[in-house]
Amino acid sequence: MNVLQSDAPLIVYVDVKSPYAFVAIRPTLALEVELGMKFDWRPLTLDIPSYLGSAEKKEGKVVASSGRSAKVWNAIRYSYGDARRYAKRQGLILKGTEKIWDSSIANIGILWVVEQDRDKLGRYFEAIFPSFWKRELDIEEVQVVKSCLTEAGIDSDGFDDFQSGEGRVLHDDLQPQFHPHGIYGVPTYVLNDEVLFGREHIPYLRWYLSGQEGPAPDIAYEIESC
Amino acid sequence: MLTAYIDFKSPDSYLAIKPILALVERHSIAVAWRPFRTSEREVPTVTDNSSVAKMHRSVRATSRCAIHQKYAAYQGINLQFPESIGNTDLALGALALISGDPLPFVKAAFAAYWTDHADLNDPAVLAPLISETIRESFAFDKKKFINALESAQAEILELGIVDAPAFIIQDQLFIGREHLPWIDEIIRTET
Repeated sequence: MNVLQSDAPLIVYVDVKSPYAFVAIRPTLALEVELGMKFDWRPLTLDIPSYLGSAEKKEGKVVASSGRSAKVWNAIRYSYGDARRYAKRQGLILKGTEKIWDSSIANIGILWVVEQDRDKLGRYFEAIFPSFWKRELDIEEVQVVKSCLTEAGIDSDGFDDFQSGEGRVLHDDLQPQFHPHGIYGVPTYVLNDEVLFGREHIPYLRWYLSGQEGPAPDIAYEIESC
Repeated sequence: MLTAYIDFKSPDSYLAIKPILALVERHSIAVAWRPFRTSEREVPTVTDNSSVAKMHRSVRATSRCAIHQKYAAYQGINLQFPESIGNTDLALGALALISGDPLPFVKAAFAAYWTDHADLNDPAVLAPLISETIRESFAFDKKKFINALESAQAEILELGIVDAPAFIIQDQLFIGREHLPWIDEIIRTET
């Protein structure tokens, strides 16, 4: 799978452990419905410690941290607070994570849903994202991800083998392709080989995919309820 | 009242000016323009042996440049990055000290940096820029400018501002022009 190529009009990369992806899911799903299109949703499992340092929290307090300056902490605090207020507008709860999760199994779940029952992808996102961000899910457990699949009405028989076999290979093959192709975070949208990071591009995506009438809109976080 | 924190060398700040002014026109609101020194970085040069962190920074910086140019073009701006990132401290210090309407200075300083790639830390460049745009009597005092910026910077960091453009309205902090729809909503609710 080439990270920039798809038969769909738009590729969307997301990661369950990203607060930015969390608040982009509903607006992006809404755009899909609005345009009557099917986007090509794919996983991008962020390697956060490699570029933002790492940290572990217990009961809201940092108990371990490495590679993070005061400036990085300020930026992270702002980012979480910012994502939290937009989540709230969507009726969602976003609690800061207590560790940097390995979200690969949950993300391989995206590949599974696309392969098994594409039309239920939105339900899978609804089953896994909000609960994870309320700190109710251990997404490193295969059984937990399977429960989310079941909750979304997706058959999870065979997911054990998929997440450790074919799905893992697909997922792992994507990862080293990201940086060389200009992709570094989530949500990332790929439109005709152009890489657009962040949900602030949704107005532009709508404009482009619906025929480019009138002037192109500027970046914006849309605030209409989803 | 909307407070906008900007840096002349920040492409994000530059591209926020037109949308901010459109907001001002829509709602007839006042904007307090404040300086905030950003930490713009050159795109790191990477090799096959570069760390993942350095690769990430390089990919991110390259992508951001392309995105700035893309949306600049839609604003009718031919955004050309200077060969190296300039120091804008003196101009930011001047902004901190202007007591009247600084908008003509703000526009002129952005144009000087992004169109002429002028050195906004050079008194020879800055002095005429100030005299042409600011009506108030404004003695050019380099030390005073820098002290004003440092003092403003320390206060602003306390507010949690980490980048520009940043906006404060009704005690809420927003960083980036992508938040203007929410800011617009706050203004509409206020009035």
